Amino acid sequence: MIKQKTKKPDKFVITLCDGPTCMHKKSKDLETIIQKELDKYRIHNAVEIKLSGCLGMCDKGPIMIVNPGYTMYGSVHEKDIPEIVENHLLNGRPVSRLVIDEDHLYNRFFRIFGDIAFFGKQMRIALRNCGIIDPENIDDYIALRGYEALAKVVTDMSPQQVIDEVKKSGLRGRGGAGFATGLKWEFTSKAQGDAKYVICNADEGDPGAFMDRSAIEGDPHTVIEGMIIGGYAIGSSRGIIYIRAEYPLAIKRLEKAIALARDYGLLGKNILGSDFSFDIEIRLGAGAFVCGEETALIHSIEGCRGMPRPRPPYPSISGLFGKPTLINNVETWANIPVIILDGAKWFSSIGTEKSKGTKVFALAGKVKNTGLVEVPMGTTLREIIFDIGGGIPNNKKFKAVQTGGPSGGCLPENYLDTRIDYESLAAAGSIMGSGGMIVIDEDSCMVKMAKFFLEFTQNESCGKCTPCREGTKRMLEILNRISQGNGAEDDIDKLERLGSMIKKASLCGLGQSAPNPVLSTIKNFRQEYEEHIKEKKCRARECVNLVSYTIIEKCIGCGACKRACPVSAITGSLKQLHSINQDKCIKCGRCFEACKFSAVVKS
Amino acid sequence: MLTPLQRIKKMRAEAINRIIGKGYLSTKRVYVGMATCEIAAGSSEVMEVFESAIKNGLPDVYLSKKGCAGRCNLEPTVEVVEEGRIPVKYGKVNREKAKDIIERHLKKGEIIEEWVIK
Repeated sequence: MIKQKTKKPDKFVITLCDGPTCMHKKSKDLETIIQKELDKYRIHNAVEIKLSGCLGMCDKGPIMIVNPGYTMYGSVHEKDIPEIVENHLLNGRPVSRLVIDEDHLYNRFFRIFGDIAFFGKQMRIALRNCGIIDPENIDDYIALRGYEALAKVVTDMSPQQVIDEVKKSGLRGRGGAGFATGLKWEFTSKAQGDAKYVICNADEGDPGAFMDRSAIEGDPHTVIEGMIIGGYAIGSSRGIIYIRAEYPLAIKRLEKAIALARDYGLLGKNILGSDFSFDIEIRLGAGAFVCGEETALIHSIEGCRGMPRPRPPYPSISGLFGKPTLINNVETWANIPVIILDGAKWFSSIGTEKSKGTKVFALAGKVKNTGLVEVPMGTTLREIIFDIGGGIPNNKKFKAVQTGGPSGGCLPENYLDTRIDYESLAAAGSIMGSGGMIVIDEDSCMVKMAKFFLEFTQNESCGKCTPCREGTKRMLEILNRISQGNGAEDDIDKLERLGSMIKKASLCGLGQSAPNPVLSTIKNFRQEYEEHIKEKKCRARECVNLVSYTIIEKCIGCGACKRACPVSAITGSLKQLHSINQDKCIKCGRCFEACKFSAVVKS
Repeated sequence: MLTPLQRIKKMRAEAINRIIGKGYLSTKRVYVGMATCEIAAGSSEVMEVFESAIKNGLPDVYLSKKGCAGRCNLEPTVEVVEEGRIPVKYGKVNREKAKDIIERHLKKGEIIEEWVIK
């Protein structure tokens, strides 16, 4: 955007793309050749070479970026290396004939982030501006080609052309179900109605997920721009952002962004001087998980209790106040401006055959680098958890990964090479969902894990249909029994039977997916359930009733455990071996935490 | 009569000028993460330190807030972008570290390696 004078830098960083296409074109070989050239001039200490994930310009591969200065070279051949090293690295003159001179939206973040391993494997489309721009300054967004897609659409494209472009891009809804976005737009555009609505579903309630909040807080304008384009495509003049009230900063930034966009003539009557008018208002949700389900969300906006209804009719035919309604998730909207500006052809070159583009994940749990990541579809779970996430902390072993939040499943180690896309995850027994990803290590009990998620869905069930309301309650009772050591032989069968019944008979997505964490943990970790039931044993030592604490010979009699015990279950004089009265012990674990000599043992 | 596309291009040029007017072309740019998670980790205090340093005469520094870059376990994060140098990201910055970043990095050009996110 803004050209700066270049000085001779302290150190160069060369980033080579090791995406499949560039690898095929021998970008790995380039590394060796560069290394040789560097040795020749004895400058290998001043240059660092890094490999990154797919940089997205596969047709121009192998790609090589030289920083500082962000010079991107394309179609780099081994014979070009001596020239690049001599001219660019030694004399500070980039080799202009090889420089790719395109200001693509998506690769901008590499200028700032590309050289850090955590970001190197990522590709940011929806989050392209997050962490780069000031979200409260509309100028920052416009300076990075913000609202240009909107201008392009109202200047040069018919609504049908916009829909065709979205269809060609292969974008699928990022809210969880993965329905083809372009098709949804087409249905809504063709539906009959004097008024039509555009809704952004920003009701994010998955435990451990924060993608939508971060996307809105980091770059609210991209969602607004996407929605206006959607409004133009389907012939709507009114948009609503449904966001939960627990996200005050996101709401504040959205309000500010909407007000600024109106001031700039980008929202409201006759947008950018065209005939097209569109405005957006915000509706606050009270924080019910079920309101993320589109029909429940629509009821909530209408002022009714947020309960789902059977579909069809789908919202695209009869939605808000019975009018055709186009409803998409935050991340889906954030992809739209990029598809319009960089083209459906480019967008569909990223990802897998049936899942195009990238997906944002909230990486949490027992992983070194927790955070928000966006990767091309087709990246494996292993790459996300170990390359980006840095693996499991404290030398613990990986046990499972829960994808898709409370509606998803737990996948064990043998699924680590599963590629991230809608179909592969479903085939593995989980779902993409909205993008929560919780890593579980060997210290976690899978029964407790399943119980946690079921407790959540049971609490959040709206109660309208019996399978979900009653069924999840019964399942939770069984799980509680098992984790307390009172499980019966046929409990696993009962859970499986109940689970599959709830899945089939529930009204909405919440009930249909609620048993998933239980069913998938039974499928992949059945032995742990059996141990709880038959042996009254919790191998992760997390189920309180199945754990006991004892003090061993290592005890020096310091009394720390005794002081920490809330029920005075520990006896022993100073400098003498202490002991725990098992009848009194409430298994709170405070003695275990208080002991500095590993003398309190959990078994 | 300008087309919408011509209008946005004009707006973009004006926006860039306004950003430059705010000091974007300063030799050093400092970005402080100010998303909910970053604020919860204490980034407002960090922002205050930089704001007051600039108010009290720290020259040639452009200060801006930014959204979450995704490094949740290392928040609050501060990024220093300098002409001709690779951008530096500092993790787990608190009030004291922010003061050190001002004294050592922004004033003397020293990168404080132990806090850099790698």
